[in-house]
Amino acid sequence: MRPSCLPAILSLLLLPIAAWSAGPSVNASHVWIRQAPPGISVLAGYFLLHDLTDKPLELESVTSPDFASVQMHRSFVKDGQEQMEPVPSVTLPAHGSVEFKPGDYHLMLMQPKRNLFAGDVVTLTLEFSDGSELTLMAPVRRDPPQH
Amino acid sequence: MKFRTSLVYAGLAALAIAAGLLASWLVFQRHEQPRPQTAALLLHDAKPLPDFDLKDSDGQPFTKSSLLGHWSLLYFGYTHCPDACPTTLAALNQVMGELARRPRLPRPTVYFVSVDPKRDDLKLLKTYTGYFNPGFIGATGGEDALHALTQALGVDYAYGKPDAEGDYAVDHSAFVVLVDRQGRQVALFTPPLDAKRTVADYSDILKYYGETW
Repeated sequence: MRPSCLPAILSLLLLPIAAWSAGPSVNASHVWIRQAPPGISVLAGYFLLHDLTDKPLELESVTSPDFASVQMHRSFVKDGQEQMEPVPSVTLPAHGSVEFKPGDYHLMLMQPKRNLFAGDVVTLTLEFSDGSELTLMAPVRRDPPQH
Repeated sequence: MKFRTSLVYAGLAALAIAAGLLASWLVFQRHEQPRPQTAALLLHDAKPLPDFDLKDSDGQPFTKSSLLGHWSLLYFGYTHCPDACPTTLAALNQVMGELARRPRLPRPTVYFVSVDPKRDDLKLLKTYTGYFNPGFIGATGGEDALHALTQALGVDYAYGKPDAEGDYAVDHSAFVVLVDRQGRQVALFTPPLDAKRTVADYSDILKYYGETW
């Protein structure tokens, strides 16, 4: 065996170990989706994300098989006006958190493909700038969880 | 003659002073109560609403006289609003729950006025408001009629650009307006609405306006 092959083989062997030891980049808690009032086809989704890595990460996209489209939005009050704007991505500071919550960042989940009521569970897939993905099972609720 | 004239003047002056005293007593007797410290923005002077002509979610006229004889909370928004409006309406439902624990306190009627009449018809408004609380009343109307009420209350709204599907967001004032029994705007509650805090403020404001229970 030529010595130049060794690092390649070694790295191939070590790759699964490295990937395993790196673990997930982000964890999520307080995940929930607000049940829509009857006749309304847009729901809001919320969660608390924590960056477990030493680097800031971007949450680049969220998808769900249960909705025609999912966007990230931010509500804010400016000059007493309730406003809302789409956000292309959201930055998680290294070892820091970002909360999607009422009156702030939230997911706009549009045109559900099935009727969703409190107690149902929706799959959300989050994609981050380091290429990692996080799949969440988000419960549909009428009221926010207490925390 | 001269004496009589000055007597008349003196009499008039005394009358004027008495009238002034009476007027100030009438004006200030309500303010014997010190102004309460509230998280809500209490207007310095109650502001009478003009006449307006909207429809409620039962198809009945919703006018200034609908607001007479009881306290009211008015919130302005639109049903396609995914975050702010459900959050505020759910909070107002919690306020009603908190008020249920104080049954002697006069209960306000809660109105959700849609500033998006293009998408929000009365039928949709009825199911929408009823979802949050069966007692909540939806209302809306034509642009001009909406404008008459919103402008008087300092409520602003603006339509966003429609996306590819024709969906659009509506920027709208975040506060909840408190209107008294005489149809006057007296205070604004700003989000986030904490149920306990809101009820404490509501109770203090009613007391300040001479309500007893």
